[in-house]
Amino acid sequence: MIEARDVSVDISGKRIVGGVDFDARPGEVAAIVGPNGSGKTTFLKALSGELAYTGRVALNGRNLSSMKPAERAVHRAVLPQATTLSFPFTVREVVKLGLVGGRSGALPGQDARLPERALARVDLEGFAGRFYQALSGGEQQRVQLARVLCQVWAPMLDGKPRYLFLDEPVSSLDIKHQLIIMNIARDFARRGGGVVAILHDLNLTAMYADRIFVMHRGRLAATGSPQDVLSDDLIEKVFDCRLRVGVLPAGDMPFVLPQSAVY
Amino acid sequence: MVDQSIAGPVEVVANASEGDRSGRARIVNLLLCLGLAAAMLLSLTSGASDASAVSVLKGWLLGAIPSDVALSGRDSLIIYDIRLPRIILGMLVGAALAVSGAVMQGLFRNPLADPGLIGVSAGSSLGAVAIIVLGTSVLAPLMTLLGTLALPLAAFFGGLASTLALYQVATRRGQTSVATMLLAGIALAALAMALTGILIFMADDRQLRDLMFWSLGSLGGATWATIGSVGPIIILALAAMPFLARGLNALALGEATAGHLGIPVQRLKYTAIICVSAAVGASVAVSGGIGFVGIVVPHLLRLLIGPDNRYLLPASALLGASLLLLADAVARTVVAPAELPIGIVTAIAGAPFFLWILLRKRGVIDL
Repeated sequence: MIEARDVSVDISGKRIVGGVDFDARPGEVAAIVGPNGSGKTTFLKALSGELAYTGRVALNGRNLSSMKPAERAVHRAVLPQATTLSFPFTVREVVKLGLVGGRSGALPGQDARLPERALARVDLEGFAGRFYQALSGGEQQRVQLARVLCQVWAPMLDGKPRYLFLDEPVSSLDIKHQLIIMNIARDFARRGGGVVAILHDLNLTAMYADRIFVMHRGRLAATGSPQDVLSDDLIEKVFDCRLRVGVLPAGDMPFVLPQSAVY
Repeated sequence: MVDQSIAGPVEVVANASEGDRSGRARIVNLLLCLGLAAAMLLSLTSGASDASAVSVLKGWLLGAIPSDVALSGRDSLIIYDIRLPRIILGMLVGAALAVSGAVMQGLFRNPLADPGLIGVSAGSSLGAVAIIVLGTSVLAPLMTLLGTLALPLAAFFGGLASTLALYQVATRRGQTSVATMLLAGIALAALAMALTGILIFMADDRQLRDLMFWSLGSLGGATWATIGSVGPIIILALAAMPFLARGLNALALGEATAGHLGIPVQRLKYTAIICVSAAVGASVAVSGGIGFVGIVVPHLLRLLIGPDNRYLLPASALLGASLLLLADAVARTVVAPAELPIGIVTAIAGAPFFLWILLRKRGVIDL
């Protein structure tokens, strides 16, 4: 369980996040949505211990700010929006960096094979020998996810849930890989872990999130299930855009929703 | 028909070790050990004196037996009191410079970081020159207190100060700007050189001659005594740096991500800076400005075994030691019986190599 109470973040004297209460429960996908600049990424950085904050954050019952980097790394893995790499590592070497903390939670002796298994899960089989810097943006994003998955391979460790923090995990992916990645997130939650994901696609959010946290100008504008939160009023208020929920396009205009995916 | 492609975990895994260069890296490290042994042998048997390979080898093998008189007194002196300390010092300095280069490149997340290029060596030089020039006057109390350690310690603090200053200037929120790093390095080096210039201006004739030879870079001052004073510092720094390897690997993904992976980033950075300053400071103190070892060696090895610091750091130590021994052998023989300052040899070989790196990377290095 992750409990954040009254969390605020100031950067260079400016309040970016103010007084946010937030819970991420094991077994659930918690989605954070909101317009650009609403403080989503800043809040996630506070939650991951990367930025200083005021207020209280508890990670599995422990005060986040008193935990060492190595202890935090056991409980949660973080996928940033973008990652640049300074040296020519191969894809396999990048993914293997996820194991640097040594608590993947895989069965003993299986760590050596985890990079390949993680790459297979993000649909990058056969990419292990390629150079990371030569991949496309979407492929790089999936390599990073494979690295993150290695870090918390088992969704539960020592009887405690672990968490995936995903900052726009599908932002540069095609529709097939958006579904693959979101399925990985949901699967991680179903097996006892927790997921906190910043998303922009409201349809994907409605499909995968158990709870939605809507941020607006650094504050929490609404919290609840997709059914409760996604309303015409809220979308107009938060995104400053008049849209209506659940309305089909007129005439024979085609539309494609992720919900229509057939497995 | 059910499409499995987006259903999630499908685990069919082929080609176990694709993209895994650790096997090759181990073999390269092994070969580099052999290479270093060969370089030592070559270095031991070459020089202005005609102490020949055969007699040296005999001496090497039989010298341990006290009763045997395999070597003449002169050859014995040349080998044990001149060449052997010089070889050991050369290996220590070469390893220290190469590993320091690799660590700095990991720390700054940039393949162009090099102690010589970005002003660390200049800071060390300032510390060392201060001791050479002022050791008999203003700094005399320090000399009596520290003895032979005064020179390497002064060089260490000079290097530490410039590295810390450089890091503060060039790094903002975990991102190091290459342009800022190189330009700040130029500014720091210029400042250190100006202060060094003031000291040189104050120096007397004898000190000037010392300074001149020292600043071009030379292993000529190698004695068992110098090894005794700087050897432990270099060995300590070299022994500590492999412990930074995993953290430096994670740092390649950026400071934030390294932290997420569980690396204590601040501690890693300051340990790295202290180790580099100690190793470079001690090297500069005994051998002056030997450039380009720190950039050429790690770069070559990255092409060969990849950037994994667990293998790159030991390989850099081995290749750096070997290359410096070879450079010293060249320095001692090309103009025999005189000898060329070794810094000239490494610069003549290293500077074009550096330009070649820039040509290859043009477009990749985004200034």
